[in-house]
Amino acid sequence: MVAAAVDQVRSLYRTLLIYATVSILIFGAGLAEFAYFEPFGQHSGLKVHIVGVYQYDPEHKTTIGPDSNSFPRTVVFAAVVDWPSLPKDIVVDARWYDSFSNVVGGVGPGKPDQLASQTIVPVHVTPPFHHMLPGHYTFVVQRYAGGVPVEVLGRRIVLVER
Amino acid sequence: MGAAISARGIKPRPHRPPRYTLAIAITVALIAVLVASSILNYVYLDTVAGRTSLYGLLSIAVIALGSFTGIRAIVGDPAERGRQYRRAGIFLGLAALAWLLLVDVIVFTDSAGPRIAVICALACVPTTAFGMLILRALDRNETEPWKLVLLAAVWGGVVATSLVIWAEGLWQAIAIRTLVPGPGLDVSTAFSAGILEEIAKGCAVLLLFLVVRNEFDDVVDGIIYGAAVGLGFNFMESVSYMTNLYAIFSPEGLGTEAAGFQWYARQVLGLFFGHATYTAFVGAGIGIARQLPDMRRKVIAVIAGFVIAIAAHFSWDAWLGAFPIDKTFEIIEIHMRTLIITGPFTAALLAILFVGLHIEGQALADQYRKEAALGTGAILPEEISILMNPWPRFEQRVRALRRGGLRAYLLVARLQSAQIDLAMERWHRERNELDTPPEADDELRRRVLALRQELLAALSGR
Repeated sequence: MVAAAVDQVRSLYRTLLIYATVSILIFGAGLAEFAYFEPFGQHSGLKVHIVGVYQYDPEHKTTIGPDSNSFPRTVVFAAVVDWPSLPKDIVVDARWYDSFSNVVGGVGPGKPDQLASQTIVPVHVTPPFHHMLPGHYTFVVQRYAGGVPVEVLGRRIVLVER
Repeated sequence: MGAAISARGIKPRPHRPPRYTLAIAITVALIAVLVASSILNYVYLDTVAGRTSLYGLLSIAVIALGSFTGIRAIVGDPAERGRQYRRAGIFLGLAALAWLLLVDVIVFTDSAGPRIAVICALACVPTTAFGMLILRALDRNETEPWKLVLLAAVWGGVVATSLVIWAEGLWQAIAIRTLVPGPGLDVSTAFSAGILEEIAKGCAVLLLFLVVRNEFDDVVDGIIYGAAVGLGFNFMESVSYMTNLYAIFSPEGLGTEAAGFQWYARQVLGLFFGHATYTAFVGAGIGIARQLPDMRRKVIAVIAGFVIAIAAHFSWDAWLGAFPIDKTFEIIEIHMRTLIITGPFTAALLAILFVGLHIEGQALADQYRKEAALGTGAILPEEISILMNPWPRFEQRVRALRRGGLRAYLLVARLQSAQIDLAMERWHRERNELDTPPEADDELRRRVLALRQELLAALSGR
């Protein structure tokens, strides 16, 4: 009876080790995914010049006022990118992410020359909402390789106040 | 192991086993993290939260120093001094918990104001209580003391959340400023949540294992304590998400829906398919380690438990985005993604739990029979079938209630508990898992017999 009980605990131990092995495979899958979307050796040293983030007038498609890091939720805002600050032979895009990691605006991907007419990159109010949701919004200009973004060339984080 | 503490809380011995040194080291490390967290709160949070955090910590430190210095100066008798130290320790522990709870309430729930925070918290109380009762029902052979299970839940809700807030915040701040947004960043965040939160929660189970060995018998106990820590953490996290999302969506008139969805996702759907499952794996590893003979396997089992818990937590956070919710089939998809991602982990945990319950039940039945065969009177042959199942045990208590009132009911409960303790002690001794002397078993027998006498007296009206 005692020997059987010892064996049963050892069986639990072995079962635990099998689960742990599967868990390590899960970590492996996670690391592989990370490496695919965040590949090593992609640092080019390039930097994009983000002129600023400004209040945006959707009617006239222009920016208003000074560069700012925070906005009230009733105001739409836009980043201004200096595309000529980048080399002509790379593929890039620009995107706005809200605090839930949803894409809420952007241009590209394309070569800087192709994006030259789109220097103002506004955020969009996501339907069915009437105003911006509060939280931190991240603006990034990303370089592409093999069809996926591999490097952030510039970044701004702004706060939409409650 | 040399010297040791009591056999199931009966006989204090003068020296502490080495595991206490490890427990003290872990406690000191946790206090250091809380001190660092408190200082960061003071520097970066708004005035109320920051001052509450730092000044509360300083107050507790000053009271602790005063208490221990005072006791040392006033109380001469070493035994009495030890008792006073323990009392002061419990009081200061409770004060520290109250302090952390206050900071948590301010930090996690202030976004929507106190009224919404209270409503959210009240909404989570019945579901979390239901979860605790289910744990209690699952622990059918030898129920763990409520005070320890509740302590585990409080740790999960109050201490673990305080331990991780700055570490996760720092990881997230660095990741957002260095990584490409998208799946890579999501994976990084998932690793952060899995590693940091499971270590913070798992420390509670590890400390219970090191300090309260008498009430930490096997894999079943580990799963119960781990799940309780998870339920506590889930409670505080639910309140935090509900209040935060209420604050975000209420200007659009959708605050109640957002908070209600979080409540359903975390307190109904995710009550067991979430933190309870993750941290129960830490408990399973520690519980299995409790019954392994050599140190190498013990360490591997504990690490394996943490690894599985982190993987389960990581899977949910990393791959939730792979199941985008379509508005048409929203209700079905929300349930399916929980079943697909966390379901296999919960099923694997239940498999371990049910095997553990089977082993425990068999072993206790065997020990009841052996003890009854000794003829000491501690366990009578006719009591074996009663002790083996929770329902007959309850019926026995109810019969006592009818015959002798509440006192008789409570005495039968204590008698049953002492008999189960004796059988559990015998099981551990047979497996060489105890650091107490064999005389400890005799003390347990004496306690059972004394309770039996007391019960007979109560039933006969003496």
